[in-house]
Amino acid sequence: MKKLNLSLGLLLIALSFAFTSSASEKEEPNEKTIQMSEEVKAVVKNSCFGCHNTDSRNDDAKKDLDFKTWHELSTVKQLGALKDIKEVLTKNEMPPEKFLEHKPDKALSDDQKELLIVWVKEQSKSLLSQ
Amino acid sequence: MRKILKVLLVVVVVALIVIQFIQPEKNEGGIETNHLLKQEQVPAEVSAILTNACLDCHSDQTNYLWYHQVAPVSFFINNHIHEGKSELNLSDWGTMDILDKIGTMEDIAKEVEEGEMPLKSYTLIHPKARLSEQERKTLIDWAESMSERLLTGE
Repeated sequence: MKKLNLSLGLLLIALSFAFTSSASEKEEPNEKTIQMSEEVKAVVKNSCFGCHNTDSRNDDAKKDLDFKTWHELSTVKQLGALKDIKEVLTKNEMPPEKFLEHKPDKALSDDQKELLIVWVKEQSKSLLSQ
Repeated sequence: MRKILKVLLVVVVVALIVIQFIQPEKNEGGIETNHLLKQEQVPAEVSAILTNACLDCHSDQTNYLWYHQVAPVSFFINNHIHEGKSELNLSDWGTMDILDKIGTMEDIAKEVEEGEMPLKSYTLIHPKARLSEQERKTLIDWAESMSERLLTGE
């Protein structure tokens, strides 16, 4: 199973270089744009991506962070965005309370927050050392 | 009716006098070693903008005017300073790791560009903090070049 995932992953990355724009499904964070484990991707897809993508109706949200266009950001902008993500998670500002009132299933557990924060730190370090 | 008004007036005056005795701690830590301006070579123009428009709330040194020490104004000021420092304290620049520094510069650029900072309530009372378009651009350009420099290790 692991080998199959690796091959699929490599194939996807190869394909993503072949096509400049991909007709990605509305819900899925585009694989080429950002490095995320399956676990992290699942959390982001459930709790964040809905507002933080180009096709969202939430203008403020997508202006602050758009996972779909992440790859267009310069390294420093990505680092800035990562720092902001860590901050809003630590301060429990995201997902917003008003949003969670009618979508409580999108709330982040402490473990999920921790997962995302660890991801932020790893991404930041990796960007820094590139 | 008149009596009630008189009593009310006395109560307000007494309250105003009493609250003068509640003095929030002053933010006068000075400009120490870890301060951004001590740690980095900041162009004079940028340094002036930072001093006039940012550092009162975003450092350990606030330059108070006499009426800042009168309650309840002093309470609002203290609250602003407290919140400002918790978001960003440039007196701690030297202690920040590189990722924090880069993120900070990016945040500065973003907040200034979006017009979120300096706060309108601050610029209302501090004319020197009212940044012109050119001053904003100078500050943003500087912040962005700082973050690039930090990333590439100068």
